[in-house]
This record gives sequence, structure tokens and C-alpha cells, in this order.
Amino acid sequence: MSSPEQLAIIQSKFTAGETVVIAIEASLMQGCMRAARLLALVNKGSTHALVILLTSRTPPQVFSDLTIERVLPIDHDFKCDLDTDGKQQDSLDVYLNVSSRKLRLVFEMRPGVTTSSLVSEIFRAIEVFQKNNSPPTEYLWIQKLTGSTRNLDSATDDIQDVADPLVELESPDLVVPRRNIATGKTPVAARESVVRYQMACKEEDYTYTEVFRMFIGTWNVNGQPPNGITLEQWLSSDQIPPDLYAIGFQELDLSKEAFLFNDTLREEEWRQVVTKFLHPKGTYYQVAIVRLVGMMLIIFAQEVHKPFIKAVSVHTVGTGIMGKMGNKGGVAVSCTIHNTSVCFVNAHLAAHCEEYERRNQDYADICARLSFSSYVPPKGFKDHDQIYWLGDLNYRITEMESSVAKHHITNGNYGPVIALDQLVQQRRLGKVFQGFQEAEINFKPTYKYDPGTDNWDSSEKGRAPAWCDRVLWKGEAILPIDYRSHPELKISDHKPVSAIFDSQIRVIDITKYRKIHEEVMKKLDKLENEFLPQVMVDTTEVIFDTIHFMEPSTKELIIANTGQVPVQFEFIKKLDDTSYCKEWLHIEPYMGFIKPGEKCDIQLEIFVDKKSACKQNSGEDKLYDILVLHLEGGKDIFITVLASAYERSCFGSSMEALVHIRVPIREIPAGRIMELENNKNPTQEPYPVPKEVWQLVDRLYRHGIKTAGLFQTPGLHSEIIAIRDWLDIGSQDAMPGGVHSVAEALLLLLESTAEPLVPYNLHNVCLSAATNYLQCKQIVMQLPEIRRTVFLYICSFLQELLNHTEENGLDAKTLATLFGSIFLRDPPRSRDDRQYRSRSIQATFDRKKAAFVYHFLVNDQSDFILGR
Amino acid sequence: MAREYDHLFKLLIIGDSGVGKSSLLVRFADNTFSGSYITTIGVDFKIRTVEVDGERVKLQIWDTAGQERFRTITSTYYRGTHGVIVVYDVTSGDSFANVKRWLHEIEHNCEVVNRVLVGNKNDAPNRKVVLTEDAQRFASQSGIQLFETSAKDNVNVEEMFTAITRQVLRTKKEHKERQAIQTSETVNLRKGTKQHRKRFC
Repeated sequence: MSSPEQLAIIQSKFTAGETVVIAIEASLMQGCMRAARLLALVNKGSTHALVILLTSRTPPQVFSDLTIERVLPIDHDFKCDLDTDGKQQDSLDVYLNVSSRKLRLVFEMRPGVTTSSLVSEIFRAIEVFQKNNSPPTEYLWIQKLTGSTRNLDSATDDIQDVADPLVELESPDLVVPRRNIATGKTPVAARESVVRYQMACKEEDYTYTEVFRMFIGTWNVNGQPPNGITLEQWLSSDQIPPDLYAIGFQELDLSKEAFLFNDTLREEEWRQVVTKFLHPKGTYYQVAIVRLVGMMLIIFAQEVHKPFIKAVSVHTVGTGIMGKMGNKGGVAVSCTIHNTSVCFVNAHLAAHCEEYERRNQDYADICARLSFSSYVPPKGFKDHDQIYWLGDLNYRITEMESSVAKHHITNGNYGPVIALDQLVQQRRLGKVFQGFQEAEINFKPTYKYDPGTDNWDSSEKGRAPAWCDRVLWKGEAILPIDYRSHPELKISDHKPVSAIFDSQIRVIDITKYRKIHEEVMKKLDKLENEFLPQVMVDTTEVIFDTIHFMEPSTKELIIANTGQVPVQFEFIKKLDDTSYCKEWLHIEPYMGFIKPGEKCDIQLEIFVDKKSACKQNSGEDKLYDILVLHLEGGKDIFITVLASAYERSCFGSSMEALVHIRVPIREIPAGRIMELENNKNPTQEPYPVPKEVWQLVDRLYRHGIKTAGLFQTPGLHSEIIAIRDWLDIGSQDAMPGGVHSVAEALLLLLESTAEPLVPYNLHNVCLSAATNYLQCKQIVMQLPEIRRTVFLYICSFLQELLNHTEENGLDAKTLATLFGSIFLRDPPRSRDDRQYRSRSIQATFDRKKAAFVYHFLVNDQSDFILGR
Repeated sequence: MAREYDHLFKLLIIGDSGVGKSSLLVRFADNTFSGSYITTIGVDFKIRTVEVDGERVKLQIWDTAGQERFRTITSTYYRGTHGVIVVYDVTSGDSFANVKRWLHEIEHNCEVVNRVLVGNKNDAPNRKVVLTEDAQRFASQSGIQLFETSAKDNVNVEEMFTAITRQVLRTKKEHKERQAIQTSETVNLRKGTKQHRKRFC
């Protein structure tokens, strides 16, 4: 999609300064449906937006093919993740979940370079936003694109814009035909995401909450070893044993080795000490431990919770030297407790008083870069129900003299000091920790002390006191219980901090979950069944009256779309048939498209012509066919087509049968004709030539011998029908119709036989011998008697015609060509081959056939006839 | 949440015309029943997702025309079928007598397939002509599980579909295990020859 031309077309939809970074075709999943869209990432200044376009043509040819459907600003409310459904065999598609405000969209995309570049561009755009935190005013250009502010204004709920998959499912305003999910060929992701969404909506119905007591602790230990230390005062000073501990350390080891090789013995030393001083009333197990250089985070939970803590995943982000190293940054643990996803982040942000912006940046980097790979797709930091952020955040107090601050603090008057705390200030400005909360600080600054004492830093630098060590949280149903420091622990220049929470964890009631899940599934099954294509046909048995040779008969079949989705129908082949219907049947149209509530009239025409007549006479075929009307992605309906009878006729009968019939053909039963066609019970005295041949030839001999253009001027259909009936019924009246119709009837009679006058097995021999009169004569000698007689009879008649060339204008070549093609009709297989046979080769064949017959038109045959 | 379903199975309902094949399907898929009889001229399907033994199974259930004149055409729909439900009408001796023919049809068109025998319309004891004992004897001889159901009164329908689904699940598992064993044997014996495996039709 990203070909330069196409990108240019899309670009032309935007004005200067708005750059289309990348564009790609994608399918928007709407419930069970998929609709084609174009996704374009557009950039203006430092802001980006994801634009969803409709195109009337794929790919778009001109600018006017495109319509902007939605514009999603890439800002704090924009979310995007990928879903690959690799587990399913035939689906290798990638699903892009996009959400902005209350809108949630899923796009299906073909995996490949373009898709992955789009995704990485989107992620880059998100990072750009996080870096710049562009205010909403910078997104005003988007308004112009959509002509409204709905995408920008999250406060005013535009109800119509809320894409609720269920609502869309239940009011299907369908633009696109639904592909068949039931066959399992279509990815089920659409349905699956609906199920997921429905279950999320109903979470409250199948979950209840349990309160977990959380202990969150942080301590910058300034590289000190835990030799002989006790941690009771910090970790187990309360009555109630916590359900879960998240304990973070910073500056665990300040040695070069730790920094360069990320290797330290301190990890195990501190781990053991912590384990030892966990609350004695609880039995704990270690859920996870993660460390990056000096930052370590260790999670413990009570044993009883073990079965319910799942999907534990850790990740580290270094933001130190070169923005990568682990001297600063964060370590994090993600897990799911029952049905609640929880993330713990222990961070050590940039130091130095004036570097608060750097600290903001470190925070943003950690947020953006944290990713937990045990989830598919990897889970980001924001995708948790509860987030606990602890650590040495390093925010200071710069706008108050150190002595003044110390004075206030000594008097327990923290308020004026805290008001000037950089973190408080930056959060108020919305620069950092958006959405996070912090409990009220009622403890002395935890930095900086002379190690081993409770005295403020007395070194040369004389650092001002600061609340460097903090605990913040984000998420609902978290009740802060306590927030304090523990000055009794003196080995470091920082004091440890702890925060206690009573957090509500969602617990699944498995019985209720099953029940609700089943309900959701049933509802979807019902919808899916209702969305299968449905039609009604006015009849499944189309019955024709008696069919006559060469007389077409038509009936109508009405297919009405009674379902909710457009229907693509087609009459399909059954079993090993080569066509969807028999050769005497014609269906128009045999495939088509019907919108819901509309109908389609199908014309069924039975026409028994010279090709199909012989099988009807011999009983090889009947006017009976079962058609399979197939609805794409749905059911098949069987339509029976039959005629009450086929009127027997000399047309389509073999010469061999006709010579045995002395009465008009309709006077003998159909069974007898079949017998004769199958060479059973012949009569004792057959005619030398069929009486019908004689009658037609005789008529021409008497009335047409001098008619110009005989055999070349077409007859009239109605006259031919009349002649047919005259022959079949037998009439005392004169034969009806003009000579041209009689001539055509004669040709038709010869053409309607199962086999031409010269049997197929001699076809090739005749063609090879065509130039040699003697050989041709030999072949004719070998013809079965009746065939030979008819052959010579007709040739003699043609010779007679040629005696009157002056009047009728006929010549031997023309007649030879015409009768050559009839006497030496191509065998059925080569008739199919004909379309592959080049025209010049076919012409050669036709010339040979003519040459064969020509001999018998220009040479005297009397000796031949007499000589037999 | 996990995938929407773990398995997708195709089931086929066959049997004489008028024994209640479509009614069984509609009862199972939509939980409804209509007293009026509309003969099925063709093949139709519905889907339903069920949970059997902790596994989510999406069933695509094909309902076929029972009329004799369509038999050759309907036989083409046996392809890819995991399980076949052979239905007779407990109030029609003929329909029961024809069960043999239908079983033969399955053998003819499928290699290995799971089957259940279903005596439907088991809701009017005074009209019942196919005795449970006779049907049970026949079913046991043929190694098929028998269910007597009533689509009308919703009796045993759910159980019957669950049973055939469970059978298909079991067959699939056994097949997988067999494959696993064969693969390991092949590796052990360093044989390149392909083992002949039975498979679904």
C-alpha cells in the first residue's frame, strides 16, 4: 500500500504541514464483519494522529475516492496493541487494537513489513507524545479534518461514537457481506474479541472483591551491607500480616563491578535478611525478584495466595548513563492476582536538586519502555488495574532555604515544606505521574542523614532535607492505610519508607463465570446463526409440461433473500458432473447477489435440440435434473427440474431405428422406440432408407430442385416445427412449409442422430483418404448397409440438384462442404477440443470432409449403386 | 481469556425423511420447536458452541434432506465430517429398518467416523413401535450408542449431542496420541516409511 503514488493520493487529502508518514490497507472488524479501510499515520509538528479512511476503490486512484472516517489523536488517551492469532491454522493475520477515548477498534492486517512499520511508527508517535506531552491545543488541526471536536473532547460523551461491539452486533447495519465464520475459515478473532469485551463488561457479575493488605517498602541503602541488621521495625511492625510485600532497594551495591557486570552478592544478602524479617504471623513465598545494578525489587505473598498469583513477569529499564545504563531507571514486576492485574515499579530517578525535568523524563521513559513479555501481546505498564510505584524518586526542595525547612520540620510543620516539594509541584503541573495518587506525608524527610544517626547531613555539601523516597499508586479500590518512614534504621543516608494499602482484588466466581460465559456464547451463537444467509425459493420442484424437440420452454424460479445478510448464490456442480445442470437446461442467471429483502428471478429454460434429442429418444437421459442452489457460507437447496414428458420425434432417432418404423413415430409407444434404438427386436422388413428421409428428399425433388439458394437459405422455425409434427404424426395433407424449411429439416434430421452417417470410428480414416476417390469409395462400401444406402441416396439427390445449377445456382463444392460437415460430424471429444484447435487446422479438417463428399457428387455413382 | 474455542467439529444428521432431523438441530441450536413440518430440501447447518469436559467446542451441525431421491447428492456432504447422528422415528418401523442402509452409507462415504443412533419422537408411548430393547440390541451389535430423544419435549437432545461431541473429542485425542507414538517409533527405528494412519473421513 505504501507505494509512492498511493501515498501521494492519500497525502493530497491533507494540507501542507500535515504529513502522511505511512498508510496501509486494513480491515475494520465490526462485530463479525470486516470492512475495508485505509489507516494513515499523519504528523503535524510534534503531534500525530491515526486517520481512518474509507475508499470507494481499492487501491484509491484519485483524492476523491477517499473519505476521512475518523481521526484519532495520538495523545494520553490513545492506546494501541497487537494481537497475533498464530495458533489458528489458516489465520496468520495480525490484529491491531486501537483505542482512543471511549472508542475501541480492531483492525485485521496482513502480516508483513508494511504492517510492522505502521505499528512501529505508531509506537514512535506515542513515545513522541510522552516526551513532549503536547497540550490539546496542538491537536486543533484535527478538528478541521473531521469537522468536529468529538475526537478531542473526551469530556462530552458522544454516544454515537462509542463503538460497542454488542450494539453493533445487534443492530446490523451491514455494508459488507459477512464472511463465513462457521466454516472455521474466517479468523474468529472478531468473535473472540466480542466475547472478551462482553466478559469484561460483565466482570462485576462473576467476580467479587477480596481485600489484600499490601506492604510497599522502599529504601536507598547507600551501598551498605545488611550485616547483622534487623528489619522488624520496617517490615513487621504492624499487627496484621500483609498479604503481599513489595520491597524495593536502591544503591544496593555502589561498586564498579555491580555497575559494569550487574553482578553482586548483596542481592542474596539482602534477600535473606528481608525474608527473615517478614511478618511472623504469615507464611510467605517469594513471587519474584528483579534487579538492575543497585535497584532491586522483591515480591512476597502469603502461601495461601500462591495458586491465584499468575502471569508473573519482570522487566528492567535503565535510564542512567547514555539513557541506557542501570545506575538509574526502574525494575518492575507484573502479575495477575485472581482477576486483577498488578504492577510494581521500583525506580531510582536522576539525582541532583535542579534535575527535576530529567527525573520527569526518566519516569516517562520507564513508563514507555516497560513491557512484560509473558503476555501475548506483551503488556505495557499502563495495562494494569493497579500500579504501585516506589523508589528513590530524588525530587528535592529548592525553593526554601535549607535552614528554614529544617526549622519547620523540627516543629513538625511539614505543610509549607511539602508544598515546595518538586514532585508535588511537577505532579500539580501534570508533568509527571499523571493519574497517580500519594498518601499524605506525615513523616520527616528521609534524606539526607549522617549514616548511623538521625542527624541531617553534616558534610561539606550540607544537602537540604528532601522526601526522596516515595510510594505512589494508580488504580481503583486502593485504600491507603499508612505511609511512614522508619528512622530507626540508620545504616544509610536515607531512611526506609513503607506504605500500607488495603487493595480490592477481583476474584472470579468460577460457577458464575461459566454461566455468564455460556450465556454470552449462546447469544453469539444465536446471532451467528441468524446471520447465516437465508433465502426462500417459491418452489423446489419446477415442473414443465411436455417438451417438444426444438421448442424451448421457460419457467421462473424466484429466490427471495429472507435473511439479514446479503446472499451470494450459485448453482453448483454436484458429484462428478461437468456442469451445474444438464445440457438441455439453461439457467439465467446461474449466480448472483441478493440484498436482504430483495428477490431474484431465475429463468429456467428447457430446450431439446439436435445435440440432446438422441439421448431422450434412446432413454439414455430423461428430462429430470436436481440442481444444487448454493448460498455462499450457508446452506444448499436442491431444486428438482423435470418435464412431464418428452414428445418422441423422428428427430434424434437413429437411421437404424427409423427404417424399422413403418407408421408415424407417435403411433408407437416410447418403449418400442427405445428397443429399436438399442437394436432390440428389429422388424423383418426394414425400409432401405427411413421414410422421413425419403419424404423430405422427395418433397425437395418435386418442389425445390430449381429453387435458388436451396440448403443455403434458412427455413422458418414455425415451418420446421410444422414439418416435424407432419412427419411424426403422419398426415394425409401435403407436407407443410416452404422448400427452405424442408431443406433445413432434412439437415436437422441428419444432425440430430447420436452418430453421424459416417460412424465416428471411420472418421479419421475418411479424412486421411479424402483426396483419393477409390479409397473413399472403399470406405463407403464398408459402411453399414442402412448408412450406405442413405449416404448414396442423398448423394444421388445432390447430383440431381447439380444438374440444375443454372436455376438453383448450387455448385458441388458448396454442397460438399455442407454435407461433409454433416456426414462427418466431429466426434464429441474433438468437438470439445475444437476451441483449442486453431482455426487453420479446423479449416483443413473441414476441407478434407468436403473433399470426401465431393467425390460422390461429381462422379457417376450408377456402377457403384448397381454393383453392390 | 483463552481462545473462543479449542475445537471445531462438523457433525452430520442423517436418516429417513420426516424422522425429525431438523427439529433436533433447531432444538439444540435455538432451543425451539415448531410443530409444523417443513421438509428439508437440501442441506443446512447451524452452529453452537458447547463446553465438554472443560474444552470449548464449536459445532457445525449439518442437517440433510432425508428423501431417497437426494441420497446420492447428500452423500457428497459426508466429507470432512467428524461425527454422524443417525436418526430414526420410534413411531415408524420403516425408518428404523432403514437405519442399516444409513449406516452402510456412512461406511461407504467415510473412513472412520463417530456415530450415535437416535430414536426421535420418543414422546408418545402409545404410538411407539420401535421398542427400546430392540433398538438397544441393534445398537450394541453395531457398537453404537443409542439415545431416545424428543425434540418436541426437549428430552435427551442435549445429552445426545454432548455424547457425540465427547466421542469425537476422544477420537481426536487418541489419534493425536497414536500419531505421537508413531512419530517416536519412527524416530527410534530410524525408519523413513510412512505409517498408514486412519483418519477422519
